[in-house]
Amino acid sequence: MTNSAYQKIRNIVGPTGVVEKKLDQEKYLTEWRGYWRGSCDLIVRPNSVDDVSSIVKICNNQSIPITPQSGNTGLVGGGVPSGGIILSLDRMDKILNVNVSNSTLTCESGTILKNVQTAADSVDRIFPLSLASEESCLIGGNLATNAGGVHVVRYGNIRDLVVGLEVVLPNGKIWNGLRSLKKDNTGYDLKHLFIGSEGTLGIITRCILKLFPKPQQISTAFVAAKSIEKIIKLFLKFSKFAGETLSVFEYMNSLSVEIATNSIKGNRYPFSAFYPNFVLVELTSSNQNNELALTMESILSDAIADGTILNAVLAKSIEQRSNFWRIRETIPEAQNFKGASIKNDISVPISNVQKFIEEADQATSQIVPNIRHISFGHIGDGNIHYNLSQPTNMEKNTYLEKRNVLVEKINTIVQKLEGSFSAEHGIGLLKKNELTRYRSNEEVELMKMLKKMLDPSDIMNPGKLL
Amino acid sequence: MKILVAVKRVVDYNVKVRVNLEGTAVETNNVKMSMNPFDEIAVEEGVRLKESGKCDELVAVSIGTSSSQETIRTALAMGADRGILVETDDPIEPLGVAKLLKVICSREKPDIVIVGKQAIDDDANQTGQMLAALLDWPQGTFASRINIENTKAQVTREVDVGLETIEINLPAVISTDLRLNEPRYASLPNIMKAKKKPIDIIPITELNIDIAPRVKVIKVSEPPKREAGVIVENVKELLEKLRNEAKVIS
Repeated sequence: MTNSAYQKIRNIVGPTGVVEKKLDQEKYLTEWRGYWRGSCDLIVRPNSVDDVSSIVKICNNQSIPITPQSGNTGLVGGGVPSGGIILSLDRMDKILNVNVSNSTLTCESGTILKNVQTAADSVDRIFPLSLASEESCLIGGNLATNAGGVHVVRYGNIRDLVVGLEVVLPNGKIWNGLRSLKKDNTGYDLKHLFIGSEGTLGIITRCILKLFPKPQQISTAFVAAKSIEKIIKLFLKFSKFAGETLSVFEYMNSLSVEIATNSIKGNRYPFSAFYPNFVLVELTSSNQNNELALTMESILSDAIADGTILNAVLAKSIEQRSNFWRIRETIPEAQNFKGASIKNDISVPISNVQKFIEEADQATSQIVPNIRHISFGHIGDGNIHYNLSQPTNMEKNTYLEKRNVLVEKINTIVQKLEGSFSAEHGIGLLKKNELTRYRSNEEVELMKMLKKMLDPSDIMNPGKLL
Repeated sequence: MKILVAVKRVVDYNVKVRVNLEGTAVETNNVKMSMNPFDEIAVEEGVRLKESGKCDELVAVSIGTSSSQETIRTALAMGADRGILVETDDPIEPLGVAKLLKVICSREKPDIVIVGKQAIDDDANQTGQMLAALLDWPQGTFASRINIENTKAQVTREVDVGLETIEINLPAVISTDLRLNEPRYASLPNIMKAKKKPIDIIPITELNIDIAPRVKVIKVSEPPKREAGVIVENVKELLEKLRNEAKVIS
């Protein structure tokens, strides 16, 4: 970029709005797991919508690529820069309004998800989006990637949790769609164009989020079952008899529970016998009457009686509940102790989950004998984190050479079962090839047309997604 | 052998407690309640003694409101055989609890009473010792290991200098420390079984015990808020602040 553009941008944000120390630049340039390292001419941290707009105008005039960056916690490299500038939203972290009667919260897009949750909690509400990186990810990144997490089964993805957006378009103009309306059929619903666009169509600067009543009762169970088929059957039982309270339905296969309980200090296997499959189920209700535990008990005892499940333990204290949760949450960490891991974030219609696991387990074991299947995740949404750890007796690199073959095989099965090769992690850099391969020409062409129309100079997060 | 365990319903350990508006007690309305964690350890120890064949009957006793039945049900789901609730709406001080438990002991004639070393709500750490004194039984407090042989109990206690193992004659009162065991989860089949186990409810008035409070609570207040710290630039500034602002060095 030219020196004059550099100076102009620097003048807009002032000396505190640019990151110039080499050491401080590192966290913006490096993908958090170290899988990618990008480079750029300038890292800029504006602190107002107007500043974002002015910077984008300069970049648009001079065709300077912009990599919008949020908490840098993504899993597909969507925030890795290649030249131009990094525009980080991390200084725009103000919660602007919490409106109890509208049940909405307005904030800038650089607000940490955890802070949104806390602000909601302070008025006895919840913002239900909850995921592993919630203490460092920013709401703008959550929006740009249509983040999911553990409560999707009840509350939906973040797309379902937004009523209004403000976006700086690639030409620098500001689109103000900050309307707190539940009903607003006035033409195309533009906000949804930007949600999940991974920073390729504009920069989300402010949003109005939906809040929900805070649960007054929580009932949590750790359930053991014989097969995926039975687990799906249990899911249908919960949907039928506790539908509006079912907040979490998380699957874990035996190996994922085994590694989490063996390699993470403080975790304890909740049963005294071995079981092949597990689910973490949580019901919550804003009703104060103490009936939820009874609902949980009655559904589970019915499920034991008719053979749907083999056993279950119920949390009788907050401590026990956190113990159950910790098993589920430490699976990814425990995997790090088991050598190289190839991770797949797939979804299929719920009716095909069983078929997917059976076929994928078999196919991957044929490619790499003794491969270790660590599958877990949001089975209530048909979303499985289908992770493959290397066999114990294999060299790490020999195993990683099989990566493409394994991923391709899995994606072929996913495609056949009418699923998605990226359920909640997005496309970014990592899955661009898959997008053109597994989505129809018409679909990809339509995406390209939209991109070209909104961003003709291709300055917004170039090289990502498409 | 018969074992009696005492279980108390308290505000859940993980709840951030708040003082009520009147400033007289901790707010317990719409707050998650659970079994006192030390009592959970007592129940677990009783269940393990049962599983090892050393105990024939395990009875869980609670003193409190009708809601304490839920706490007893948890003990029953963990493996206790039956429950007794001494029902009262008033808070009872440790001496009152010890007196009431003494009456229950005279009815039930247990060989061992296991209690948590303290309840996490008042942190009194008195009931076990007072009960032993009133019954004139030996006591093994702060147990981190219990070994029962015929009519004796070896109790390993956590004391300041390390571990002390004592041998006491039964019947005896034992209070549990944190490291005695790790309590099991209540499994669904056992929760269902527990619903059918009997709980004997005794109105407190029926026992005719003087439970009048000996201690008068004058005021309950929250600890003073901690003020935010400051980040100093260098050691020199730190020393300057320690000397002139905090005045902790000279």
